[in-house]
Amino acid sequence: MIRFGLRLSTRGGRESLVRLVVMALAVSVGVAMLLLTLGTINGLGKQNARGAWMATTPSVEVGYPNHGSPFSSATTSSTHSPIWWFISSQQFQSQLIVRVDVAATGPRALVTPGIPHLPGPGQFYASPALARLLRTTPAIELGNRFAGTEIGTIGSSALPSPNDLVIVIGQSARSLSKVSGAGEITSFVTSSSDGGPDTAGTTGLQTILAVLALVLFFPVLVFIGAAMRLSAARREQRLAAIRLAGATMRQVTVIAMVEALVAAIAGVAIGFCLYFITGPALVHVPFAGQPLEPGDLSIGVIDVMVAAIGVPLAAAVVARIALRRVHVSPLGTSRRVTPRPPRATRVIPLVVGIAELAYFVSVGRPGSSNGQIEGYVLGFFLIMFGLVLAGPWLTMQGSKIMARRTSRVSVLLAGRRLSDNPRGAFRAVSGLILAIFVTSVSVGVISTILTDHGSSSSNTLASKTVTDQFAFNPNNSVATVKPSVLSSIQSIRGVSGVTVVYVAPGAMKIDGPVPHINNLGGDLQYGVVSCAQLDKTPALGKCRAGASYAALGDDVAFMPITKSVTVAASTTWPNAHPTKGLTTLPVQLIAVATNGSASTIEDVETVLDRNFTFQGMTGLFGDIDAQKSQLLSELQTTSEVVILASLLIAGCSLAVAMAAGVSERRRPFSLMRLSGAPLGVLQRMVALETAGPLLVIAIASALTGFVASDLFLRSQLQLTLRPPGLSYYLIVGGGLFGALVMIASTLPLLDRATRPESARIE
Amino acid sequence: MSVAVVPIDVRSTGTLIEAIEVVYDFGETPALRGANVAIREGEILAVMGPSGSGKSTLLHCLAGILVPKLGEIRLSGERVDTLAESARSALRRDTFGFVFQFGQLVPELSAEENVALPLLLGGVRRNEALVRAREWFGRLGIDGLERRRSGELSGGQAQRVALARGLVAHPKVLFADEPTGSLDSLTGELVMELLVTAARQDGTTVVLVTHEPRVAAYADREVIVRDGQVTSLTPRDRAT
Repeated sequence: MIRFGLRLSTRGGRESLVRLVVMALAVSVGVAMLLLTLGTINGLGKQNARGAWMATTPSVEVGYPNHGSPFSSATTSSTHSPIWWFISSQQFQSQLIVRVDVAATGPRALVTPGIPHLPGPGQFYASPALARLLRTTPAIELGNRFAGTEIGTIGSSALPSPNDLVIVIGQSARSLSKVSGAGEITSFVTSSSDGGPDTAGTTGLQTILAVLALVLFFPVLVFIGAAMRLSAARREQRLAAIRLAGATMRQVTVIAMVEALVAAIAGVAIGFCLYFITGPALVHVPFAGQPLEPGDLSIGVIDVMVAAIGVPLAAAVVARIALRRVHVSPLGTSRRVTPRPPRATRVIPLVVGIAELAYFVSVGRPGSSNGQIEGYVLGFFLIMFGLVLAGPWLTMQGSKIMARRTSRVSVLLAGRRLSDNPRGAFRAVSGLILAIFVTSVSVGVISTILTDHGSSSSNTLASKTVTDQFAFNPNNSVATVKPSVLSSIQSIRGVSGVTVVYVAPGAMKIDGPVPHINNLGGDLQYGVVSCAQLDKTPALGKCRAGASYAALGDDVAFMPITKSVTVAASTTWPNAHPTKGLTTLPVQLIAVATNGSASTIEDVETVLDRNFTFQGMTGLFGDIDAQKSQLLSELQTTSEVVILASLLIAGCSLAVAMAAGVSERRRPFSLMRLSGAPLGVLQRMVALETAGPLLVIAIASALTGFVASDLFLRSQLQLTLRPPGLSYYLIVGGGLFGALVMIASTLPLLDRATRPESARIE
Repeated sequence: MSVAVVPIDVRSTGTLIEAIEVVYDFGETPALRGANVAIREGEILAVMGPSGSGKSTLLHCLAGILVPKLGEIRLSGERVDTLAESARSALRRDTFGFVFQFGQLVPELSAEENVALPLLLGGVRRNEALVRAREWFGRLGIDGLERRRSGELSGGQAQRVALARGLVAHPKVLFADEPTGSLDSLTGELVMELLVTAARQDGTTVVLVTHEPRVAAYADREVIVRDGQVTSLTPRDRAT
């Protein structure tokens, strides 16, 4: 029977051959997309593995932002002598620079990846991109931050991407050992997930990217499933004829599965070819903010097995399941009685999920971190599960409304078709719903956080004010700031004021409550400033009239890089009455007001970095720190790429589903045309029944995603959802347009399949 | 169900539709080779012939579905074969009705929506179209089936729904291609009686393709297509 099935598939006449070729081509597109997704995940893994060494941290208790908690020093043992190690990050024109300070402790010292030997004191290795930047940028803006001589470049094997800015600077063990946060290491982290501080902004990114890539699997699998159902009705008719000739149901099943297998195997072979042809172009897509290296995109043995064995097996299973839905008797095929329509109860999980998040907003989120994680995970899971479950019911309701009152034949036919089989209609876009929801949540949350934290590109007071923050924890504060440093900053052209924020003594008298800007809670100490200085750095707020000193809120004084700054500028701080001179107090923050020009800002940052190399973290006031900013931007880019890809894949699925639908109804449609129904009526009908669910599902899942992210932001971060940027709308619009073009590309098939002559021939 | 069949005097009316020296082929296979036939207004004409003789091709040429390679098709004296496809489509939609052997009902629509389809395509409002469609259920003895889908109808019921759809827009000509071909003889006779009665009442001209003499007997006149030509006329026709 297998041989018979093979012969029937390959030599069953022109129609069989065409069906086989179409199915194989559709499967090949799905397989290529599957392989590209797997290859991209692997590529991102390699990219992250190359940069994993930058997640190495010595096992010391520190209080600096980049070293917030102790982590195991390394994941591999080493026979080398340990090295002193300190890693930090800086910003240059919104780009992240990873700085690694190292010092050998012996002759056989551990060597950081990508360089031949450790740089000695006064030497450094720079990544090629940073080396170029150092050559082309005035030293006062960048080069002066890194004292020493460049003795070589860091090899690509130690850089996630060719564009990364990394510098490895040699120090003496004696000087580095005095730096708070520095420590000895004996080996390097080899996987970013094993590391801790994530100075390069890679830890966790791979996991998140993998989740986003996994989201793409659903549309791809749906597409492959749709391809395997192509021409199902015609196939079933032929199987009925074989039943009439005496074949048993079991034999018919074998024939159907063999045909599916033949198409799938051919599709897998072509799909691998498509993967190798299109793969090289994909390395240029900046999934993680930076393009991949040419060799990063690769598939492993398991990936090959998944595609080469999994897809044909899945195809056979789909063919088997498809046969169960119809009754193939010797007298012909008949679709089983229309399945029971989906019930309204399917909406319950969706409503419960949204209600849970709304409850967190109105009543309050759980107190403990674990409680919050469990609560939000449950809420988002319920919403995602609820969307998939409610999809068919929503499709049915929408189509019923559509068909109820219309006098237009195309709307009536499309509405009836959708309400007749809402599960089938929804199936083609079911992969899309999760992809759009997940990415919309991600884009909504990220764009809100980025907007809320302000941006160096916006022309605000904060965007013109450079800060150097020395620690979250006042115990790690800098004892003093030399007057020469302040004067060198003030002498920079374009600097209009410098304010030093000191840690307020606990017993300091304050006139009235100190406003909380961020409502972050916590119990940090207040800052105290001289009003003469504060007047010249208006981004930090102002003193009351006539005051000499003011008490600054803890969140502005100590955490200016993590929260909205527009409020700070308009805040009048209460008078403070320090009992001793401010210069005797530890310094927590230096704020420098500039004219906003890039060169002035870089000059100021260079002076601050040079003078407080291992103590502070410079950046624009209120601008989220470089590492988080880069990570969030990368995630936003990836989310948008996933949105675009899932829309295009959904377009492919719908085009295939439409072709299958036309093929199924070829006879009544061609007889309708024969009876005078204009082709346009049928075209509008198939466009409505395919593009309609696509548009509705895309919009509904995006809106649900934004509602969920708004509820999350309100309850967890006390933020209100900000609309995503123009790029989001362009990506979604472009993706929808691309999907509609794919659907439209199959419309000529409708014309050919339903010409009156074809009805005559049938 | 018995329906009285009232013949009309076809000699009293003029030619409504005619094929003149029509030639048509499917590649190497000739289907019509100079076929001639004229059908009078209100007449019921049975086109008979063995399988592959070209009778369905003749019907499709007369209905403007196929354009003859040679010859002419005229409706009320006007050329049909020279019209553009869009004009012929409009003609088929507004002037002609069709009944086929099987598979013509749209499976997603209810029976009444299927019947109303030609009216909706012609721009009639939904409510009015449904009201007019429902009238035919009573006339054709299929009351109570209005909300059923095609899959829930028997062959005879589905064919009566199809007949209602063919007649609901009051076409000038109803083309019926083996309308009873998929039915048993009793049901076939019932459908034919209904078809003929409805056509008579509305004055609709009917071109009926069949290979069954019992079906052809319902017609006012029979022609036989053989080897692509209307080669012989029935005695009844010759008598006229």
